[in-house]
Amino acid sequence: MVISRISAVIRAIGFATYKEWAAFRSHMAASLLVGPVLFLVQVFIWQAMYDGRETLNGLSYAQMLSYFGVATLIHYISFDFADWNLQMLVRSGKFVTFALRPLPHWLFALAQKLGHRSLALYVEVLPVMLLFIFVFGVNMKPAAPCPAILSILLSFLMNFLVNYCVGLTAFWLVRAEGVRRVFLLLKDVSAGVFIPLSFFPDILQKILFFLPFQFITYLPTRVYIGHYELAGMELTLGQAVGLQAAAVAVMAALTLALYSAALRRFTGVGV
Amino acid sequence: MRGIALCLAAVMRTKLAEQMAYRSHFALSVLLLVIGDLVVPFVTLLVYNAGASFPGWTLHEALLVQAVFTLAKGIAFPFFFGMVGTTLSQVREGTFDLLLLRPRPVMMMAILTGFDPDDFGRLISGSVLFGVALSGLSIPSGFAWLQFVLLFIASIAILCAVSLFLSGMLFRWVGSSRVFDIFDAVTRFGMYPGTIYSKSVQNLLTYVLPVGLIAFVPATALLGRSGWGTLWALLPAAGILLLGGLFWNRMLRGYTSAGG
Repeated sequence: MVISRISAVIRAIGFATYKEWAAFRSHMAASLLVGPVLFLVQVFIWQAMYDGRETLNGLSYAQMLSYFGVATLIHYISFDFADWNLQMLVRSGKFVTFALRPLPHWLFALAQKLGHRSLALYVEVLPVMLLFIFVFGVNMKPAAPCPAILSILLSFLMNFLVNYCVGLTAFWLVRAEGVRRVFLLLKDVSAGVFIPLSFFPDILQKILFFLPFQFITYLPTRVYIGHYELAGMELTLGQAVGLQAAAVAVMAALTLALYSAALRRFTGVGV
Repeated sequence: MRGIALCLAAVMRTKLAEQMAYRSHFALSVLLLVIGDLVVPFVTLLVYNAGASFPGWTLHEALLVQAVFTLAKGIAFPFFFGMVGTTLSQVREGTFDLLLLRPRPVMMMAILTGFDPDDFGRLISGSVLFGVALSGLSIPSGFAWLQFVLLFIASIAILCAVSLFLSGMLFRWVGSSRVFDIFDAVTRFGMYPGTIYSKSVQNLLTYVLPVGLIAFVPATALLGRSGWGTLWALLPAAGILLLGGLFWNRMLRGYTSAGG
């Protein structure tokens, strides 16, 4: 009963967000230019880097292109601005309206993300994927579809949870935009958006293995390609997805704890 | 000219005072820009450490291209690029009308109100990177420095033109923050040695979309790899700046404000 009511709420919020953003399709459709152009730069860079060599850090040229192709798609699927949104609500005082609702704000934000990214599936993800396959000839076939899909779904959740925690800093800081931007940049670097984490020095790889960021991009991308390795540790696809699920569960618990601490701290007009 | 300088001084004072109201935010923003600008050089360093390289380019030479790119942004962004953000928000909110009412050219006012002190952080990262890159290279000749300075001015002119194009687009494509992503994507080509691209792409990046002139051509001049002939590159830079100005004014005429 409770579950069906919650799922109805999520569907309603998600659908409203979907319709709202469908009015700004061109905003999302800019990815059809941005994604392939950035990918083209990667093609030239790695073509030059692989000149006269078969593999680099255990990845062949084709695998490297697949890595960046899949990482781009995962970025589009799990893209999130819960942090920005929450900080804006807290700073402007509009969070008051959410504090009064019989629904936790994190669930509302998650439902919004589901609606927003559903639209992105056919405006951004699918067209860019087709461009990668037919224009750049990238192998976008997952090595094992089930673990790959599961891993991308977990990445979706992990990105939301991490960003939401960043957004929660607004309850403690007057103007948290600087913190947010610094953190998000470090998150992208540590998630393997710019380069596979296996290129990092050993000591950094060991640290990154225990941080939540690799579960957003690096791990799902490697699971998609079919081989996971970081800090000298090789995991089977099942082990990798299991590790990711455990990390998401820990992050969810942390987010809930932080959320309740933030609500205790929140002050607004009339609250 | 004196009027422009007075306006600029007044805007700089106001913007700095505004930033000082949130000092920690200002410090973090500068830090972010420093870190952000060092990401691509960091990736280049990791790749070179893995044993790969851009053919014909040592690590310090490749870093020099990225340093010049960052330095150019360190000058162009605080002074010109802010107009993209202000046009984006002011056109959407309808407050752009206020610029039309002021007794100064609209383009000048758009550039001045976009002045952003945060972006001077890029000068820090650019200078550090430039120093690191030069430390691994032989000292450039006076001729190379002269060429570099001229081409660096062209580089800033191109970034100014790009600001005008992006800002102009926003009169029609109201409220789209994706112009920043488009800028990042297109200029990404300019952050790497031009020789990694095919000949046709190199020509495209020099004469049609001259992002290669932002960093690669000035860096090549500083490395002493080009002769006086390279200075022909100043022409496309001047051309695109002129086009940018014309485009911006043309798009401004299409600005409909809130009343349509």
